[in-house]
Amino acid sequence: MKDPMPFDHRPDPALGDAIRWALDPGDGAEGTAAFVTRVLARAADVPALSWDLVLARWARGGVAAAILVAVAAGYLVGRAGAVAPAPRPTMTDVLLAPPAHPREVEIVLASVIDNQQ
Amino acid sequence: MADPPRPPRPGHSPLPLPLQPAQQAARIAEQDEADLVTRAAAGDREAFGTLVERYAGVARRVARAVLGNPEDADDAAQDAMLSALVKLDQYDRRRPFGPWLLRIVANAATDRRRRRTVRRAEPLDPGFVAGGPRPDTTAERRALAERLREALAELPERRRMAVVLFDVEGYSHGEIAEILGIPEGTVRSEVFHARRRLRALLVDWKEDE
Repeated sequence: MKDPMPFDHRPDPALGDAIRWALDPGDGAEGTAAFVTRVLARAADVPALSWDLVLARWARGGVAAAILVAVAAGYLVGRAGAVAPAPRPTMTDVLLAPPAHPREVEIVLASVIDNQQ
Repeated sequence: MADPPRPPRPGHSPLPLPLQPAQQAARIAEQDEADLVTRAAAGDREAFGTLVERYAGVARRVARAVLGNPEDADDAAQDAMLSALVKLDQYDRRRPFGPWLLRIVANAATDRRRRRTVRRAEPLDPGFVAGGPRPDTTAERRALAERLREALAELPERRRMAVVLFDVEGYSHGEIAEILGIPEGTVRSEVFHARRRLRALLVDWKEDE
């Protein structure tokens, strides 16, 4: 085994082989075959990724997105509807504002003119 | 610093031109692997079985590097393989398959170790340190393996995985960074510290012999 170098970026085959030996399960090809068999047995319970499943995943995503959009829209609409009440008009505003019923003003003016005559 | 050319591994190799025979073989293997992944994602269990067989060894070793106990490691590796099967549609076919799979393996092993720690609050499984009997090996090899398992058990988990992926499995620093989700510089540092520790222990062992 080589001496450790601070920036040694090459694999150390001797150290690698030793660690491989230490970590190896020691069951050889039979162990690997048994492992593969166990995985495949469990994989049989995993449904294959068919178009139905893909569409179902998309549908779930679509429903979730639609719910989010609906919630956001509801929030915005509710926020817009809940506008703060207008402040009460002051006396000046009332006097300067155009009359709601112009005919009333004419009647009042006419009666004042009649009285003066 | 760029990593030097490395021997071909299942699933990935750099592709500089002109291709050498070994690199051509690696490219064929890579194309073959992409085809296997596509077929496995489409529900071809035979293709999935080929992938599992191809990566069983490295997955089991990486899981054992994290968990110590061979049985726990096999369970974690199995869980990871099945998790990969379920997530195959999320795998980016333009990238090498090995690092993607090993990231899932590393996460599965780490999760299992955390659960085990919470459940039992125990140190590394004694099986990791003791190992099982191997009648077909020499006493010297067994002693070395035992010593290495002890040494590995003393390393932090991430350091263990880094040195195993680099020196045993032949992944580059960049690939290990992708697998472990850490910066490449951190991988270099982890490998360096792990090697220093392991080599020191091995030197002591040789002197004791």
